Amino acid sequence: MKHSVNRPPTPDGAEDQGKEPTLQEIINIKLIESGEKERLMELLRERLIECGWKDEMKALCRAYIKKKGRNNVTMDDLVHLITPKGRASIPDSIKTELLQRISSFLTSAAL
Amino acid sequence: MSSKINGQVSPQPCPHLVDFRSRNGSKPFRALQDCIRVKPPGGRAAIRREPSEVPRCSTCEESSRPRLYACVACAAVSCHAPPLHSHASAHALSIPGHEIAVDVDRAEIFCCACRDQVYDRDFDAAVVLAQTITATATTSTSGSTAMQCNVTGSQPENLRKRRRVDYRPWAPDSREHVIIGNHSIPLHDATNASLISSTELPWGLRGLNNLGNTCFMNSVLQALLHTPPLRDYFLSDRHNRYYCQQKNGAINGTKNSRLCLACDMDAMFSAVFSGDRTPYSPAKFLYSWWQHAANLASYEQQDAHEFFISMLDGIHEKVEKDKRKSQSPGSGDCCIAHRIFSGILRSDVMCLACGFTSTTYDPCVDFSLDFEPNQGGSGKSSSAKSHNSCSVEVDCMGSNQNCGISTLKSCLERFTRAERLGSDQKFFCQKCQVRQESLKQMSIRKLPLVSCFHVKRFEHSSIRKMSRKVDRYLQFPFSLDMAPYLSSSILRSRFGNRIFPFDGDDQDASNELSSEFELFAVVTHTGRLDAGHYVTYLRLSNQWYKCDDAWITRVNESIVRAAQGYMMFYVQKMLYYKASEKQDAS
Repeated sequence: MKHSVNRPPTPDGAEDQGKEPTLQEIINIKLIESGEKERLMELLRERLIECGWKDEMKALCRAYIKKKGRNNVTMDDLVHLITPKGRASIPDSIKTELLQRISSFLTSAAL
Repeated sequence: MSSKINGQVSPQPCPHLVDFRSRNGSKPFRALQDCIRVKPPGGRAAIRREPSEVPRCSTCEESSRPRLYACVACAAVSCHAPPLHSHASAHALSIPGHEIAVDVDRAEIFCCACRDQVYDRDFDAAVVLAQTITATATTSTSGSTAMQCNVTGSQPENLRKRRRVDYRPWAPDSREHVIIGNHSIPLHDATNASLISSTELPWGLRGLNNLGNTCFMNSVLQALLHTPPLRDYFLSDRHNRYYCQQKNGAINGTKNSRLCLACDMDAMFSAVFSGDRTPYSPAKFLYSWWQHAANLASYEQQDAHEFFISMLDGIHEKVEKDKRKSQSPGSGDCCIAHRIFSGILRSDVMCLACGFTSTTYDPCVDFSLDFEPNQGGSGKSSSAKSHNSCSVEVDCMGSNQNCGISTLKSCLERFTRAERLGSDQKFFCQKCQVRQESLKQMSIRKLPLVSCFHVKRFEHSSIRKMSRKVDRYLQFPFSLDMAPYLSSSILRSRFGNRIFPFDGDDQDASNELSSEFELFAVVTHTGRLDAGHYVTYLRLSNQWYKCDDAWITRVNESIVRAAQGYMMFYVQKMLYYKASEKQDAS
């Protein structure tokens, strides 16, 4: 990021385009600004490791890489591979816990 | 497509990365260093222009995509969400030289043209540095001065601290054959054939007579007699008892006052490996050990683990110390006992307020495992690591296992997990100069040649003036990979996908030797605390033998698996021969 290079201007959010920010976007921004998103990410990471989900995904990736050969696999391939399975195999307890955290955050942020 | 540096596989850069580096001089990622934010202190690194920036894709305005990449050349942020769209790739394709981008949430480099993660040492070095130093940059306006460092200087390219010697196989020539023949006694001597009656039994198997509640000693001795490096040491005459007696007898005067446990071990090795199958009475050894551990000298039953520790201690004390060698604890240069059993533990305590991490190293000769109380809660207490044995907790409600069965692995996982030291255990932070809540993480810096895991089955409560035995079953594997518990692995998982060697640490120490271990001996205890019996199971030529004092029988491995392990001995795989141990090839 050299200073002499003209940097594209940071977009002013959605107001430029006259697009209404969706609820999802508003929530996302509130989560990031308050730092809650980071905390939730850390919590999620911890839970997913505890229940073995991370190890399962890792094993899937390993098997795939072994099959295709180490030099024939990109990160995108792996993401594409484990996304559907990963999403499907998240334990309900974790989903519940996170949803609870988010909803209590929303009530406290008076959205 | 990858090279090995420092024992770690280092992926080769893609052509776009090579191009980028050559175009951008010696510090191509310098500008990024200003944007590395580490939150919480010592935690994950992210890339942000301002601390509270909400990154958005400059093309589609989305901020909630899972992956957002900032172009390293022009700082444009784009999303990457294949297979729908990848504005990051579009950006890379439209402007040549803008292929390299950085993941804003993970601080990892990505090549948008190759659509794959790439690794750069300078960048990783900068990230790791930012994560490890405390946030002193807030005081100076140009925060970059704190971050900029001469990374090339701190990374030694000559990464092998110990020179490796190339392996060259050797076979004796005719002259050497003669020399060997003249100066040794053949093991399968025809005249001794009568002694080697049951030739299908492996060499060195011999019962030990019980001299009066001495099964605690016999069991440990059987394990030690078949500890590969210890066996090799004594059988290759590295401690010659005659020479040692001669030397020390002159100094100490009376023969009785001269005590050397190593000499007694030497005598025992000679006896046990002589080929004689009649049970051996280790009376001399017992007597010597009584003199060494006077407080344990009685015919009462003792604790096998206590005996083990005191024996190692005895060998250490009496073996002549070479003053020239370094006496650093854990290096194992002091005596054969430590050379084999001593490892080094690393303890990182990180202040949760400022991120300052204090690292200490402690030697240990074995790993002691605790049974967690059955509630399965997350309450962990780690005891002081200044003892010879280190305490490790068994988790019976752990993650990847059947409910209720404790395993050795889950225990080790727990041991190396980061643990929050709460408000009642505040640690004094040198940076903050007050006691702060901290995060503590243990890991193994150097693995011993032989790992002994001791299960704390005997609980002594001084309050209630009683002791009890914990009969709970602990599952243990026959092969154990200790790699996930090494400091290098633990640190790597803390810092993410980096290829930067940490702290200039002697990574070689743990990487050169394998982290794979094989079980070779299990000491089990049956019965009650005051009236029990120790038995050892030995694994020789992939067969299991039960050594019950003077009686040795071959048993099925399932018996061993189901046994109540008290001490488990694992040896580094490269020192353990599975197939070639058999003396007679049939």
